Amino acid sequence: MVPITIHQLTKRFGSQVVLHRVDLSIEAGELFFLLGPSGCGKTTLLRHIAGFYRPEEGRIFFGDQDVTDVPVHRRGTGMMFQSYALWPHLTVAQNVAFGLEERRVPRREMEARVAEALEMVQLGGLGARKIQQLSGGQQQRVALARALVIRPTCLLLDEPLSNLDAKLRLDMRSEIRRICKEFGLTGIYVTHDRDEALSMADRMAILEGGYLRQVGTPQEVYRNPTTPMVAAFLGETNLMEGRVLRASSRPGAWEVETELGVLRGRSNDEAWTPVAGLPVVVSIRPESWSFEPIFDTPNRVEVTVNEATYLGAMVQYAAVPERGAALKAVELNPSQVRGGALTLHAAVQDVVILRK
Amino acid sequence: MSRSISLLVFGLMVAFFGAFFAWPIWETVKVAVVDARGNPTVENVLEVFRNALYREGLVNAFSIALWTTLGCLVLALPLAVCQVRFDFPGKVLLNSLVLTPMVLPPFVGAIGVKAILGQAGALNSLLAAFGWMDPMHPIDWLGDGRLPGIVLMEVLHLYPILYLNAAAALANLDPALEEAAANLGCPPGRRFWRVTLPLIMPGVFAGGTIVFIWAFTELGVPLVFDFDRVTSVQIFRSINDLSGNPFPYALVLVMLLFSGGFYLLGKLLFGRGAGGAGGGRATTGRQPVVLSGVAGWLVTGLFASVTLLAVLPHLGVVALSFAGDWYQTVFPTGLTLEHYHAALGHELTLSSISNSLKYSSLAMVLDLILGIGVAYVVVRTRLPGRQLLDVMAMLPLAVPGLVMAFGYLALTREGRPLDFLILGEDPVLLLVVAYAVRRLPYVVRSASAGFQQVSPTLEEAAQNLGARPEKALWRVTLPLVAPNLVAGGLLAFAFAMLEVSDSMILAQQAAHFPITKAIYFLIGTLGTGPNLAAALGVWAMLFLTVTIAGASILLGKKLGALFRG
Repeated sequence: MVPITIHQLTKRFGSQVVLHRVDLSIEAGELFFLLGPSGCGKTTLLRHIAGFYRPEEGRIFFGDQDVTDVPVHRRGTGMMFQSYALWPHLTVAQNVAFGLEERRVPRREMEARVAEALEMVQLGGLGARKIQQLSGGQQQRVALARALVIRPTCLLLDEPLSNLDAKLRLDMRSEIRRICKEFGLTGIYVTHDRDEALSMADRMAILEGGYLRQVGTPQEVYRNPTTPMVAAFLGETNLMEGRVLRASSRPGAWEVETELGVLRGRSNDEAWTPVAGLPVVVSIRPESWSFEPIFDTPNRVEVTVNEATYLGAMVQYAAVPERGAALKAVELNPSQVRGGALTLHAAVQDVVILRK
Repeated sequence: MSRSISLLVFGLMVAFFGAFFAWPIWETVKVAVVDARGNPTVENVLEVFRNALYREGLVNAFSIALWTTLGCLVLALPLAVCQVRFDFPGKVLLNSLVLTPMVLPPFVGAIGVKAILGQAGALNSLLAAFGWMDPMHPIDWLGDGRLPGIVLMEVLHLYPILYLNAAAALANLDPALEEAAANLGCPPGRRFWRVTLPLIMPGVFAGGTIVFIWAFTELGVPLVFDFDRVTSVQIFRSINDLSGNPFPYALVLVMLLFSGGFYLLGKLLFGRGAGGAGGGRATTGRQPVVLSGVAGWLVTGLFASVTLLAVLPHLGVVALSFAGDWYQTVFPTGLTLEHYHAALGHELTLSSISNSLKYSSLAMVLDLILGIGVAYVVVRTRLPGRQLLDVMAMLPLAVPGLVMAFGYLALTREGRPLDFLILGEDPVLLLVVAYAVRRLPYVVRSASAGFQQVSPTLEEAAQNLGARPEKALWRVTLPLVAPNLVAGGLLAFAFAMLEVSDSMILAQQAAHFPITKAIYFLIGTLGTGPNLAAALGVWAMLFLTVTIAGASILLGKKLGALFRG
């Protein structure tokens, strides 16, 4: 269990820069997520930590040790591959024992640890099976056991759940988190699934086009995204271009001129003070809209609701304002499906002003 | 395809196979295991093992096959690894040259080798020129090392089969399987032994089985090296005293049993669990490591020198065909086109070329018809027993050409049931059938690969829009698998042109000689015979290079799949 520090890491494939001066520090025992759309560099970053790639610039540290030039097989990380990468010519137990054999663990201890690891992922007694005889979920557990049994310095997970069906995916989410926490493992988890990241991560980093955009806890990045891309990637949202008008009479709030009229919102970053005239983007999440008046907010939009999707627990509306694109709005615990001319309200703290 | 047509294909195939594969084999076997009074006996077979001469022949055939296979492995594996793992200068060119050693039956190459390694050959002359050898006492490279010489010839001829298989297996391997081993602490060298090699073993073994059987039953090379103490040549030599002598047949049976046994062994050991599917699907493509500078040129050098070594016999043949005289000199003296001229005038050459073209193209057509039918039924229908059809079509790989040829010979004697195949004295039908049976596996393999890649939904869409099933096959699927069919057909054609065993045994009148037998015949003639043979060989080489290169371009990386057991 070590902290992992990445310092000014740059990677090029040919002339294409796939990671730009990435700085990241991951604390010991943390379950840290790398999140982003495909091609953002998240897997490339993970493979640098595993040692499959050498960066063009920058260093990688496990604790105090600089591992940038340590080859893969001496890094002692445990990795779960997206395809699981289980060896079809070996049995389940032989797959799990592989890393221990490489470490020359005595036979008796090895057998005990393999059995223990299989027990831990609920595959006790299946050691003699062939890989092809296992279901996708079981294969996934073997891959986890194989990575854990060597007591790795950190656990690296490359989209480990993407080949499972929806139900199994939910079960494995809590399973993986439980195991990481039980062993106090530093875990680095790559995914493009925001629900997976929001529900499992201690902290996460959002990457885009090789740039690290934001690092924070799930609440921080969801509530206070630093860029429109981060806001849109972490969940449905309504983004509107606008221009800062003035500081509001209320401390910490600003008024922004948009197509919907003047909206009052807060900045996404306490350290940043918007100035009048600055072009900005305003983000309002669908669940922030309310059809009932909200106390103490000037944010009010007249809309025509002409499309509603009833989902039981909620209704999704497409609400067309007088000017501008249709707004997405969600009402939880709906007692009726609304329609026609209505007014949407949004609280000041739910209107987030983003730097453009 | 409707069920009735599938059944028709099935029936046709079974009939064809029964008549031209199972029956000839049985006919051969029968003479060996049934005595004169019609009682079953194992006496003849046992005699093969009791007779010291026959035993020695078997041991030699086995050791030729074993060493050839090992030699091919040693040569092909490193090349395949370099090809898949690295980028190096000239990679594309060198990779496309890999099949060139196969464009010549090795026994033709052997004439070239004799010109180079013979007592008055190029190598000795070179050594003498440098003063490293006494010209009065030349080293007899071939006489002292006949067995190694034969093995060398066959390795240089057959290693591309293993190379293609190994390269295909390596390219299909999910790189994550190796990365997982690295991640768990396995250093590169050991990784290859513990993970990579076991995983590509099915592919390597599939190629290895073919190489082994090929070398085990090879007739041409030992024949040209005048090496009689090997089973295939012993069988060939005894053709003339077939009447009533059961031992050649017993030898054929023993050879068949061994070949079949090796084939089955390969299937059992490595047939199952093929493919590197580790659950899920491969996610990362393999990035070849770009080797720059010295390392890159070293790999290029390795490739180039192996290829050069492999085409050395061919170069020898080419040189011989232009040589005015090539005796006790390093290079031929006096370049001449005389042999080409003479070859055109020789009664054997023109007729043999046209014979071979005729036999091979007819065999190719027959193969395509059968091959498309079999592949379609096996891949696309749920007909019970379709796997049997596939096995049937692949079996000729396990049966030595010599065995088949012997069976045909027995069945087409006067008064025997298949005598009608010999039109007067013209063995055209017989040879076409014999070639077609032997080369069918290549067409079936490449057609199956094509059908597997073309989604059945494309055909269903055509049917949905109103095309009858046969029409849908004709208008949608066949055009899409056309490259595979053309490639499979070209290979079948090329290898039919190169066929040795059937040609040697079944074509008995000079007027009906195919090209391989004509070359063999010319080698044996005095005077400029070998030169004429070489000229004819060069012509065949050019022709086959074009054909095989065409197949290779059409199939690309999938070429390896054709040479699988």
